[in-house]
Amino acid sequence: MSLSLYLDRQTFVHRRHPLVKLLALLFFFVAVFVVDHPLFLLPVSIGILSLLVLAGAAANLYRLRILFFFLFPFTVLIWSIFYRGGTRLFPFLPLTFEGILFGLGMAIKLSTFLATSVLFLSTTRVEECTYAFSLIGLPYRIGFAITLAFRLVPLLLEAVLTVIQAQRCRGLDLQQGHLLQRLRHYVLVLIPVFMGVLRRANHMAIALEVRGFNSGVRRTSYVRAPWQWNDTEAVLVVMGIAAVYLGLWWAGYGRVVSGGG
Amino acid sequence: MLPPTFRQLKDVRPPALTPPALAAAPFSSTSPVAIRLDHVSFTYADGAVPALRDISLEVQQGEMIVILGASGAGKSTLVKCFNRVIPAFQPGHFSGAIHLFGRRLLTEKVGELAGTIGMVFQDFEAQVFSTTVRDEVVFGMEQIGIAPAEMQRRLSEVLAQVGLAGFESRDPATLSGGEKQRLAIAAILALQPRLLVLDEPTTDLDPQGRQEIFALLRQMRTQGHTLVVVEHEIAAATEADRLVVLANGQIVAMGPPDQILPRIETLTHAGVRPHDFDRLFQTLAIKHYPRDVEGAAQVLRTRGVSLAAHTCGSDRSTLSCTSSPAQQLSSPAESASPLLHLAAVSHQYAGARSPAIAEITLTITAGEFIALLGANGSGKTTLAKHCSGLLTPTQGQVFLHGQELRTVPLAHLAQKVGYVFQNPDHQLFAATVEEEVAFGLRNLGLPPTEVRARVSEVLETVGLCEVRERDPFLLDKGERQRLAVAAVLALRPQLLILDEPTTGLDYREQRAMMELLRRLHGEGHTILIITHVPWVAAEYAERALVMARGRLLWDGPLRELCRRQDLCAQAAFRPPDITRLGLCFGVAPLSVEEGIGWIRSAKSARGQHSSGEL
Repeated sequence: MSLSLYLDRQTFVHRRHPLVKLLALLFFFVAVFVVDHPLFLLPVSIGILSLLVLAGAAANLYRLRILFFFLFPFTVLIWSIFYRGGTRLFPFLPLTFEGILFGLGMAIKLSTFLATSVLFLSTTRVEECTYAFSLIGLPYRIGFAITLAFRLVPLLLEAVLTVIQAQRCRGLDLQQGHLLQRLRHYVLVLIPVFMGVLRRANHMAIALEVRGFNSGVRRTSYVRAPWQWNDTEAVLVVMGIAAVYLGLWWAGYGRVVSGGG
Repeated sequence: MLPPTFRQLKDVRPPALTPPALAAAPFSSTSPVAIRLDHVSFTYADGAVPALRDISLEVQQGEMIVILGASGAGKSTLVKCFNRVIPAFQPGHFSGAIHLFGRRLLTEKVGELAGTIGMVFQDFEAQVFSTTVRDEVVFGMEQIGIAPAEMQRRLSEVLAQVGLAGFESRDPATLSGGEKQRLAIAAILALQPRLLVLDEPTTDLDPQGRQEIFALLRQMRTQGHTLVVVEHEIAAATEADRLVVLANGQIVAMGPPDQILPRIETLTHAGVRPHDFDRLFQTLAIKHYPRDVEGAAQVLRTRGVSLAAHTCGSDRSTLSCTSSPAQQLSSPAESASPLLHLAAVSHQYAGARSPAIAEITLTITAGEFIALLGANGSGKTTLAKHCSGLLTPTQGQVFLHGQELRTVPLAHLAQKVGYVFQNPDHQLFAATVEEEVAFGLRNLGLPPTEVRARVSEVLETVGLCEVRERDPFLLDKGERQRLAVAAVLALRPQLLILDEPTTGLDYREQRAMMELLRRLHGEGHTILIITHVPWVAAEYAERALVMARGRLLWDGPLRELCRRQDLCAQAAFRPPDITRLGLCFGVAPLSVEEGIGWIRSAKSARGQHSSGEL
């Protein structure tokens, strides 16, 4: 079982330098963040979708479909109801045209954030992530902690499944009983799991130091991907997009109600 | 006790061997001694008795040392002192002196020694952190500041060395156990340590993986690496320059393999299983013998043992001809009470391309002792989990006493079939040993008096009565394994399935576990064990089930299986050395005792014709 969304492909998107992917993630976030109107958001969303298809990562969207199915209608509904201002469409409902438009925009915005993250995770290895983080000056340890988390979570899930089976053999039925009983049953699963994780974490800490973690020597970095001209182009394009959206925001465009909202 | 100041003074000795200039230097490149321990003792902070007592030891550069001993003898503790994992990670009281390449170790961090001493551990999952083989190998080099250009060179070099060239982009999670362990070794070799320590590197591996590691060890040895290997089996020991046998934290024997291996008493006392041939030839009072099958067969031939055509003909020996009880057991048609029946069972895991097991049909009869054999990934565990209802077939049916298994209620099933997982820690959670055993009984809703009675009975059976109040996590591995069996046994299952019950146990614990199973078998339990250990299968099981690529390759007497070299190879099953020796003469003894019996009977048979030399 793997939590990782990474798909080992050799597409144009995959081949980009990790730093490009990280910067693109940030710039796309900025572009989407500064506008609210669906019509302004859609171009970026469509762009991200195309990149996902190009990277062969559309399957990951499908994998996470539940997330989108919940997020989208729920966001539209909540924001439509709680949007203040505009003219009511019906006298008895707190719905306004602007509210619905804003809700729709919000849903597209959040879905695009999510899709952009999926794109990033589908095309970037954890180590590349850590590498990119170190290039923008984030402490190595933070990046490494993320790497380690990715490593530990599948081990944890595997242990949970085994322990559930082991306890089943002794007649523990997790599906049985009322809520409190079931919670108590899960405690019986979690104790062996956490004991195992603690033991393994200790082994890992030793194995890490034996490999020179904390060596006191200045770290070097393996060159994971040489910077190519394409990378420069990609960064320029993404920066351009972000700049255009910032410009729109500066000029007051992209809002549902111009000048306020 | 000496006052602390005086003890410190004493620790600095002997000055003659530690010139100040050397102590200040990084690590001597000329020192012929890789590591030297002077009177090293260590007691864990929570330990009542010392884990190491007054150990003095020297390892020369280019030497290969194998450290043997039972669980808890101090093997792992000893090597962890080499690079200060002890006391850095496991606090306690340390005394004595350690010199690594001529320099006294005092306050170094473990990480600072990474380029000088490398260490590989048993738990290969805990040594692999990355998502590609490349990143895994590079990781350590980044930590100790190797230049990027040099990294690329070393990466290719070490991957080629451990036989993983071309695996650079693979995800370590997709590698086999042996490959993962070789990757862990490569990641250490990339740091070019001058001393390489391997702490039970093969314990968690299947026979295939073990052979891979042993081959790599042999190769590293010829390349001049200085190696210290901790093992609780002697498989790697014959290759070593010197063996060190530990017991209760002390060195009880040290010397070249040819001196140590024949000392059967010493080894057995130290919890190490002696080599089959040492036991055989010493009983026969033969002095000089090799430890490879062909060589040993040659010795026997010169002593007049010949092909055993006459043995089979003369006394219908069970060695050469299939024993009749086993024959009966393996033909369920003749038997009255089939306990469990699998009818054309297949299982395909979600997302898998091919089925993990395919069209398995077999019957388990009450009272059998079965070994389920096969290489890793051949479907053994999947099959066993179908027998216990932990998995339901995607095709086919499983019947328990004629009733389809999936319709049997869980509480009832748990009393019919018990399943003991490979790692006992997966099921232990209670505060005391007693509570642990009582848990399953309470799940069944038994009255407290009955629970108490059964707990006592079962703890008696597995020999854990004295520790009934203890915390299960404070028991040693062998005790935890027996507790896991007890916890399942308390439910009085008819069929007891055990997934690798001897893994991670030393010889004494393995014997204790298997004798327990033999006793349970004698009391009427049906036993099914998944195992990789040849002698365990050979000495205890009557019937063998062999899996290969999800299919049942063989179902019959184990002795017959040993004769079928093709099947053994497919199942990655290597019969015990004594069996392989016997096969050179057309017989298949399954234990050293049987082997001795066979040779003696061959001798007496021969004696009738001429005067034998044996």
